[in-house]
Amino acid sequence: MEKLKLAVYWASSCGGCDIAIVELGERLLELAQVADIVFWPAAMDFKYTDVEAMPDKHIDVTLFNGGIRTDEDAHIAHLLRTKTKVLVAFGSCAMEGCIPGLSNIKGPDHALQGAAWTSPSVDNGAQVLQQGHFAMPEGDLTLPVLSKQLRTLSQVVPVEYSIPGCPPHHDQIWKAMTAVIENKLPEVGSLLGVDDRTVCDQCPREREGKIRVDRFVRPHEIIPDPEICFLEQGLICAGPATHAGCGALCIHAEMPCRGCYGPPAGVVDQGAAMLDAIVAGFEGESDADIRQVLSTIVDPVGTLYRFSLGASVLHQIKMGLAESGQVCDSQRNGEDAS
Amino acid sequence: MIRSGEFDGNFVQDVMAEPGGEHLLDCWSCGTCAATCLVRRFDPAFNPRLILRKAGLGLREAVLSSREIWQCSACDACYPRCPKEIHISEVMQAIRTIAIREGYEPPGPFASVDEVICSGCAVCTRSCPYEALARGPVMVNGDERVIAQVDKNLCMHCGVCVAACPSGAMSLEEFNDQEILSRMGSGGWLEQPGYLQGAADAPRILAFVCQWSIRSDAEWAALEALESERLHLVNLPCSGRVDPAMILLALSQGADGVLVAGCHEGECHYKRGTYLGRGKVALLDTVLNQMSIHPGRVRFVELGALTRSALPALLDQMANEIVTASTAAAPAMFSAADGA
Repeated sequence: MEKLKLAVYWASSCGGCDIAIVELGERLLELAQVADIVFWPAAMDFKYTDVEAMPDKHIDVTLFNGGIRTDEDAHIAHLLRTKTKVLVAFGSCAMEGCIPGLSNIKGPDHALQGAAWTSPSVDNGAQVLQQGHFAMPEGDLTLPVLSKQLRTLSQVVPVEYSIPGCPPHHDQIWKAMTAVIENKLPEVGSLLGVDDRTVCDQCPREREGKIRVDRFVRPHEIIPDPEICFLEQGLICAGPATHAGCGALCIHAEMPCRGCYGPPAGVVDQGAAMLDAIVAGFEGESDADIRQVLSTIVDPVGTLYRFSLGASVLHQIKMGLAESGQVCDSQRNGEDAS
Repeated sequence: MIRSGEFDGNFVQDVMAEPGGEHLLDCWSCGTCAATCLVRRFDPAFNPRLILRKAGLGLREAVLSSREIWQCSACDACYPRCPKEIHISEVMQAIRTIAIREGYEPPGPFASVDEVICSGCAVCTRSCPYEALARGPVMVNGDERVIAQVDKNLCMHCGVCVAACPSGAMSLEEFNDQEILSRMGSGGWLEQPGYLQGAADAPRILAFVCQWSIRSDAEWAALEALESERLHLVNLPCSGRVDPAMILLALSQGADGVLVAGCHEGECHYKRGTYLGRGKVALLDTVLNQMSIHPGRVRFVELGALTRSALPALLDQMANEIVTASTAAAPAMFSAADGA
């Protein structure tokens, strides 16, 4: 049997998804018996020209991690789409924006200034911001430029499947790879590497079910009881609104779920589902009580939409897809990042 | 006419022996409770005075088999007005307790749980104003799992749990998600582009209205007469049924604003439903502000005895504020004053 051709790419990501693949450990050897890795910049030496030289649909499966932040990301997303039969949005960034997607709250200009001007580790008195082109005596230097909003992979090109998680758990990656190897992939559009229901289904903590709270705290502010539901202790835990798949990893490390496996099946907006879930547990009767509880929720968008902002309905209200792909204001020079 | 055979002298004692039933015979039958009761707007046959009267006369079978004893939602609008200070909802509860004991069943509808989807997260049990939901072990497809279960004797079908459930496992006939979504989009209203998209002359507002906050058919008809390109009404069993995801979906389509009308603080037909509705809109407003989305696009208004007729004016006010905010200067891009 001809070996499968597998590619792994990282767009705007932290590298955690690539590490998660390495965590397959000895299973990588099993994978190598049935698949050739034809492109994996984080692990091996490949050039973009290698991919460009491939015939269309040459790659069987591409695991694409990272969000579409720059024109380079968008270019490679289109390139890999052309060269790939089954394109997989791998990990939270590619699937729903993840932490880099939170920069969409303030936008890329704000992020660029933070990195180039106001970060304590920089000395940039002239307030220079990096641009796409810079003329030097030796020639024109180019750098990728940022689009107005970070986009998910499926907002830029069609994808066949998504694997959630920040990063996806290696056992779930293996489950997905097994489905690829055995040619047992589900209907196009499905999630791979998940379990049924939500994180609460895998969480061993006790839920009394009637305890409501009149203030929320963050993990560093209390020492939580190890046996009791975090929400009932006033810690915002995204477990009720998060797809099962991780095995409740953070919960077992005494930390509330942060929501990285994305919304449960059929839920369109994870943050809205989480919003409903925490308001349901508000104690109180009056508007004054509501103001009091709300005042204890620090950074509501970052808390409710920590991983899912980029793919959320909320985000669509802020900016349409067409505008999101344009070059950000501070690097604009007439080009389009789409 | 009451036949002697229908009379059961023990019934009065039975009711008065239940917690809350002690004051049954205090009732003067003045009818003040019936005059204030909200249930009568939807079911004119419902009359708390008559139920107390029949119970006081010992008409066991007539009372226990009646549909009416299950309709009181314990909103307690009648309680402060009763000149004899009878806590009527507690008397109703005492009668229900006897009915349940003797095998009578409430007519429904009830909230229901999809046992395959439910994770047992306990969000619904916290949300329920009636403690009608509890977690317990259930065999589902051969596995014993701890999931939510509805106590039909307590469920008042307010729909609060359906909105609260983060995984879509709860439903309530007539007010399930698909039904509400289809009413939101009826007549293609949401597909028309809005004012903020530069395509309408004035803001288009979708209003979720609690069916109890409008107290008469005439008031509801007057409101419906205002429906147009600019206003689309969707009634809910309670403002606590409003789902933030639906508000966001409306705003992402043709609605410039979403208004949620609920009952005045302390007048909610479902105890804490209006509180949850207000909480959701308040938190959603914070979220929209943090995203620097056009201000004033969501609003909760409470309708009480003095403000009920003010809804049209409140809609106008909301539309005006959306217009005013859209002509204001865009937020400064390079000054990060709020620092968040």
